[in-house]
Amino acid sequence: MEYLIHIAILISIYGILGLSLNLVVGFTGLLSVTQAAFYGIGAYVTAILLTSTGMNFFLAMLLGIVITAIISLAIGFVLSKFKDDYYALGSFGFNVIIYSIFLNWQSLTRGPLGIPGIPRPSLFGFTFSENIWFLVLSVVILGTIYFLCRFITTSSFGRVLKAIREDEEAISVFGYRTLWYKLAIFVISAGMAAVAGSLFASYITFIDPSSFTLTESIFILAVIILGGLANNKGAVLGAVCLILLPEILRFVGFPSDIAAQMRQVTYGVILILLMLYRPQGLVGEYRL
Amino acid sequence: MDIIPQLIVNSIIAGAIYSMVALGFNLIYGTTKFFDLGYGALAAVGGYTVFYFYKGIGLNLYIAIILGILISGAIGLLIYRLVYAPLRARKSSGMVLLVAALGVMTAVQSIVAILFTSQFQTLSRSAGSEAVYNIFGGVITQTQLIILVLGIVIMVAIGLMFRYTLFGKAIKAVGDDEEVSKIVGINTVRVIGWVFFLGSAIAGLAGILVGFDTGIEPTMGLSLLLKGVIASIIGGIGNVYGGVLGAFLLGFIENFGIWQISGEWKDAIAFGVLIIFLLFRPQGILRR
Repeated sequence: MEYLIHIAILISIYGILGLSLNLVVGFTGLLSVTQAAFYGIGAYVTAILLTSTGMNFFLAMLLGIVITAIISLAIGFVLSKFKDDYYALGSFGFNVIIYSIFLNWQSLTRGPLGIPGIPRPSLFGFTFSENIWFLVLSVVILGTIYFLCRFITTSSFGRVLKAIREDEEAISVFGYRTLWYKLAIFVISAGMAAVAGSLFASYITFIDPSSFTLTESIFILAVIILGGLANNKGAVLGAVCLILLPEILRFVGFPSDIAAQMRQVTYGVILILLMLYRPQGLVGEYRL
Repeated sequence: MDIIPQLIVNSIIAGAIYSMVALGFNLIYGTTKFFDLGYGALAAVGGYTVFYFYKGIGLNLYIAIILGILISGAIGLLIYRLVYAPLRARKSSGMVLLVAALGVMTAVQSIVAILFTSQFQTLSRSAGSEAVYNIFGGVITQTQLIILVLGIVIMVAIGLMFRYTLFGKAIKAVGDDEEVSKIVGINTVRVIGWVFFLGSAIAGLAGILVGFDTGIEPTMGLSLLLKGVIASIIGGIGNVYGGVLGAFLLGFIENFGIWQISGEWKDAIAFGVLIIFLLFRPQGILRR
């Protein structure tokens, strides 16, 4: 049972990450591969605030969102100068740079040693120390984010985003400042990733830079490509599939070291097969 | 041992390795116009093939190296035939190819990790007892000297191939316009296949040389490839000499950048340079 709860919590966290990235990649058509950086910033800000000042989790999460939003605004501004392949490559770059900062700013992040002893969230004197309650919290947050994403994507703002994806020049002829739209959605998406980071930090109670590598960003990308681009349900579905799949591999009986690598092989092969046979993913509404 | 001459020597050696990767990458990008990130994993394939034949079953060093180069080339060709060729035939967008390439990279490097474990390995049998030369106060090992020489040889060979051989001209023609090349009777599928074989073989060689210089691990390809890509872009993408120029420039910036700070910042510095170039001089130093 504990095990199932653990899986469900992971699915919620990756569901949030998938939903957030889908706003940028699926709805706006910008191939960003740097989501793990924002996920990491959210996690680190929360972890540092919780362990050093002992403030409330939700306040720390909020500050994490704010700080991530500011950083992502700057990154988004630089990335907005690039197109297609170069956009992807530039976003790679920011992931690597931010990962290096986690690893090397040792006075703040303790570098490769990581930050241990991150407390679980508490609200009005109630602590979410049992996993089942933490799951409830994660699912509530996932639900909130899901409805937020649905609200964004069905609003007139969301329609402009889709128009940017289909034909940026055409929509700018109609007088829309596409830069502002792209920046806004990039920052919103980063803020959501920060929420996932806060949850992750306080769930595992330990973070180190290795959770926020480029590979992690590629994994989040795989989640939404499998689930389906530009479909909010697809993002969550992708998280369910990609978290469950390796667990099945584990039951088949591979040793844990090989199982971890088998996971990577599976993700890779899934990406290749999807691109070859079903580029829109399971329930996607947009093809790359 | 003075610090400045050593930094210069280190920069030149790094530049030689990056220039090899950049040459292979440029060859593929110049012909097919897509960012083949899977190409990085072939460096690990080359390194581990030699590891298997040379240290595993004790074959002669030179035979092992030739096998390593041929096998990485062959796997590169195989990946092209199985994944990229069908996608290109379908006129898939650059994004689709990029995502497929990410899948290839993830899958290949994890397969290598399953076969050989993800431990760091050295290729040379006599680590530490290598011949060492002094040049103007900087120290260079025999392996590093070989790297430098081979880097120059490959650059010259590719330059000559483009200038004087029919095959080189065919590659250029396909890179300029694939449709028209087909019309004038160039077997484009075969030319591109050879380009993948050659590019991948060069990547394999780079992996082998890095393996003799420092060591190999399954994930070595990604950082090597990204350096090659950065070098190509800052030098002028699609330009053979530009890639080499960019590679040496990158080598110098990286090694002098870490003069006063920790060496862990290298990757961040490299991507910082990339982003600055993309912003202010996206066409690179030399135009195609």
